Amino acid sequence: MNKDEYIEELNKLLKKLPKEEKADIISDYEEHFMIGIEKGRTEEEISEALGNPKNLAKQIKAEYMLRKAEDKQSAGSVFEAALAAAGLGIFNLIFVAVPAMLLVAILLTLFVLGGAMVFGGIYVTLVTVLKLILPQYNFYITTYNGVLGSLGGILYGIGLTILGLALLAVLVYVTKWIYGLALRYLKWNLRVIEGKKRS
Amino acid sequence: MNAQFKKGVLELCVLVLLDRKDCYGYEMVDEISKNISISEGTIYPLLKRLRKDKMVISYLKESQDGPPRKYYQITDVGKEKKEGLVAEWDEFSTGVNDLVHEKLMNNLGDIKDE
Repeated sequence: MNKDEYIEELNKLLKKLPKEEKADIISDYEEHFMIGIEKGRTEEEISEALGNPKNLAKQIKAEYMLRKAEDKQSAGSVFEAALAAAGLGIFNLIFVAVPAMLLVAILLTLFVLGGAMVFGGIYVTLVTVLKLILPQYNFYITTYNGVLGSLGGILYGIGLTILGLALLAVLVYVTKWIYGLALRYLKWNLRVIEGKKRS
Repeated sequence: MNAQFKKGVLELCVLVLLDRKDCYGYEMVDEISKNISISEGTIYPLLKRLRKDKMVISYLKESQDGPPRKYYQITDVGKEKKEGLVAEWDEFSTGVNDLVHEKLMNNLGDIKDE
């Protein structure tokens, strides 16, 4: 492969990256070729030594996705980074992806539960109060009657809301922690892969 | 040597070289390739990450025989990281050396016994 072919191939493989990012990366390799030629190597020798552009592009993309995930904290970007890292063949997708999905599913369920508790609590409180004010309407759901019953209903509702909020707060904390852990793990993987010889 | 083995040490090599003097990418590749065979292209993604992690900074500098080159300079954060990595490497390599030599002696012992 000569210089133009190599750069062209790399350009094609990196087409998904933003223009600026790509231009910055390509300029590094152009400089590398230029200095190499000055030092008397042939373009073919330099291409060979640089390594397979496919492997290189995979590594560059994985690094980019990981940086994006660090800057913009979202589940989607971590997933993208994990996928890009998996493209490097560093870790077995099944052993990482399945537990990861399970974990996400559990977290999501707990979030829904927390949300339901908050809304349920507010609902019970409101309905009980409304029933006290407007006894002629039938609200079906609550069975709290009389002043004591209503008081119990309101307390129950408020308690449920507070519990739900507490659960959500804990979940946010846990999710952040897991997110950081996931990033650290991916980063470690990349550190290990760097310097990979062309296959 | 096992490719897997070299992967982790590239960061160490780059930081050590930059601790001596500012270098451009090709220079570092050249220097490292003298000692271990690496896939040369991987150094640029690594440099990008080091820059993002504020361990190095880069600047352009004119050269006599061509257009300006991108030089890299180690930062205080990078120096600290380098110290840590060198200490880790020393511990690791001495540990492996000790093990390898001990094993060698045991093998010799076994042969003598037979």
